[in-house]
Amino acid sequence: MATETKGRFGFGSFILLLLVVLGIVLAIYRFANGLGAVTNLNQGYPWGLWIGFDILAGIALAAGGFVIAAAVHIFGGEKYHPLVRPAILTALLGYLMFIGGLLIDLGRPWMVWDMIFFHHHESPMFEVGWCVMLYTTVLFLEFLPVVFERYKMSGTIRAWMNLMPLVAIVLLVMFAWFLTHYGTWTVVIAAVLVIFELAVRGGAVPRDAKAPTLLIMAGIIFSTLHQSSLGTLFLMVPHKLDAIWYTPMLPAMFFVSAVMAGLAMIIVESTLSSKFFGRGLELNLLQGVGKALSWMILIYVAFRGVDLAVRGVGTELFAVSPQSIAFWIEVILGLLIPLAILLTPEGTASGRGLFWAGLLVVLGLIVNRMNVAVTGVSGGYWPTYYPRWSEVAISAGIVSLGILVYVILCRNFPVFEKEHTQAAEA
Amino acid sequence: MKALLIDTVRCTGCRGCQVACKEWNKRPAEKTEFFGGPGYQNPKDLSKDTWCLVTYNEVKINGRFEWVFGKKQCMHCLEPGCASACPVGALKKTEDGPVVYRPGICIGCRYCMLACPFLVPRFEFDSPNPYITKCRMCDDRLAMGEIPACAKVCPTGAIVFGERDDMIREAQQRIASNPSVYLHKIYGLEEAGGTCVLHISSVPFEELGYITDIPKQALATRVEPAMKAIPAVMLGAAIVLGVSYKFRNRTRQGEEPAARE
Repeated sequence: MATETKGRFGFGSFILLLLVVLGIVLAIYRFANGLGAVTNLNQGYPWGLWIGFDILAGIALAAGGFVIAAAVHIFGGEKYHPLVRPAILTALLGYLMFIGGLLIDLGRPWMVWDMIFFHHHESPMFEVGWCVMLYTTVLFLEFLPVVFERYKMSGTIRAWMNLMPLVAIVLLVMFAWFLTHYGTWTVVIAAVLVIFELAVRGGAVPRDAKAPTLLIMAGIIFSTLHQSSLGTLFLMVPHKLDAIWYTPMLPAMFFVSAVMAGLAMIIVESTLSSKFFGRGLELNLLQGVGKALSWMILIYVAFRGVDLAVRGVGTELFAVSPQSIAFWIEVILGLLIPLAILLTPEGTASGRGLFWAGLLVVLGLIVNRMNVAVTGVSGGYWPTYYPRWSEVAISAGIVSLGILVYVILCRNFPVFEKEHTQAAEA
Repeated sequence: MKALLIDTVRCTGCRGCQVACKEWNKRPAEKTEFFGGPGYQNPKDLSKDTWCLVTYNEVKINGRFEWVFGKKQCMHCLEPGCASACPVGALKKTEDGPVVYRPGICIGCRYCMLACPFLVPRFEFDSPNPYITKCRMCDDRLAMGEIPACAKVCPTGAIVFGERDDMIREAQQRIASNPSVYLHKIYGLEEAGGTCVLHISSVPFEELGYITDIPKQALATRVEPAMKAIPAVMLGAAIVLGVSYKFRNRTRQGEEPAARE
């Protein structure tokens, strides 16, 4: 992605397009012949690369959307506003990519609608499924103003500002009911949301002219819940997941590391898009994000360390095994080196240091999620699982498609700050 | 709550149960090969067509090798991990004891396979329309007042069927009346919170290839606290976010005069 291309399609796009075509061909082959035809999964290792990379890592990396929306619209970090739209778009595409990956991984994806009709609300998978459906809807709604603005539909933006809080309340209350099937919780949650909206409309709480606060809140709540529930999935397997990763704190760990990775992803994505589109780099903003990132890494490292110490995991970390090596890659490459870069003044003075720190955190997060889903899991007497080339190719195809769509949307819609002027936006 | 008692001491390895299971559940025969599994065991493992399998284990007893037979099938846990995991409730524990599968609503996520501590559910990896397959304790026979096919056909009383409490008593009796032969342990009494398939044996269960490092509580107990916290987290988050938003507006208004200076 050399600067002279300035957002035009070049050789890089051609390679991405080839990967997309290869992915589509392999996906067709997979649907004709079953999962066994393209994957190395077996009866002892039912989950592989697609769960670890496309789903667990993909969703965590898309956390940037809700993190930056929370920082800007709830916690008063308004100077970060230029980062919101690209982050929301990355998150939306990230979720769509993940849903694509999920539909390929599910054995009977045409039955995925069953989750709407058959509720087993004690299952963490049910929780994740619903949250993802609803959060993808929220992300789509958050991105809509960009489309309205592009086609100069200012009336529609006003209607959107009015309608969205109600939509957010409906989505949240519906979710509360499905997940509890318990009236009191649902009514209390509904009451809090309605009171907040009435306070905004009545003027007791100032209205945010740029975004419907409840919609942003819905996005944050759904994200918090399913980022952590992805960790809950693995609480079910104390007998299979290695002690290095199995902890009752797994849901909280997944949430904290998702916030961390979301921040890292904002740095990486802003840097790459500024290079690719030849626009200026928001260095002062990214330095702020880098500072937040270093705090999140510190919190996460402390959390992991205390958890390992409390549970008495020690010798396992220093025995030579695929698991302990994978653990140290995750910790050194993905946490300690980027932390060192971020804590040295020289590291954050330039965009390059920030970019590398962010990239390492992103890679480390991917290793972490792969460790929880694959490396740390024991499938008994079944042969150890390694991803087959066709699994990697399908994942690569999905990511390539996401990048291409991102580039096309950024070229045609007002995603970056200087191109848009109107007030209403997400 | 009904249960099966498997007495590996009485098993002669005739595999009548395997055949009866296939016949009742209309599962086709598999292509097998001699010495494809351990010793004369055939087929090698449970599969989409083999829900009940007699395992052949060569165990060293008093210095000489002897055949000891085990049985592989769904353990029909009291609180099954697979059923707790299933997002659509396709797997369910029935009041009678069997853990049954509703293929029509299964989405194929395979979380049940990950959750099962006994590595029992099998997924049809070679099918474009794959299902999960496993023993269903002949729930259709139970509904007609019959007993499971494997228990019906067993000629030596190595598989008996009845109320779970009675089966536990029967197992204890068999152990007590022959204490030098039986190991003083009922496999399935506590494993994963207890199961509706109980095993007794003359040799340690590890030597029969049974998975023995299984938690004593139901797996659902690990997940419950996190799932129960969800509405509280929702409510807490809504309040914290609402208050933070209100607070942020106040600080911003406070900042404005300073910005004008």
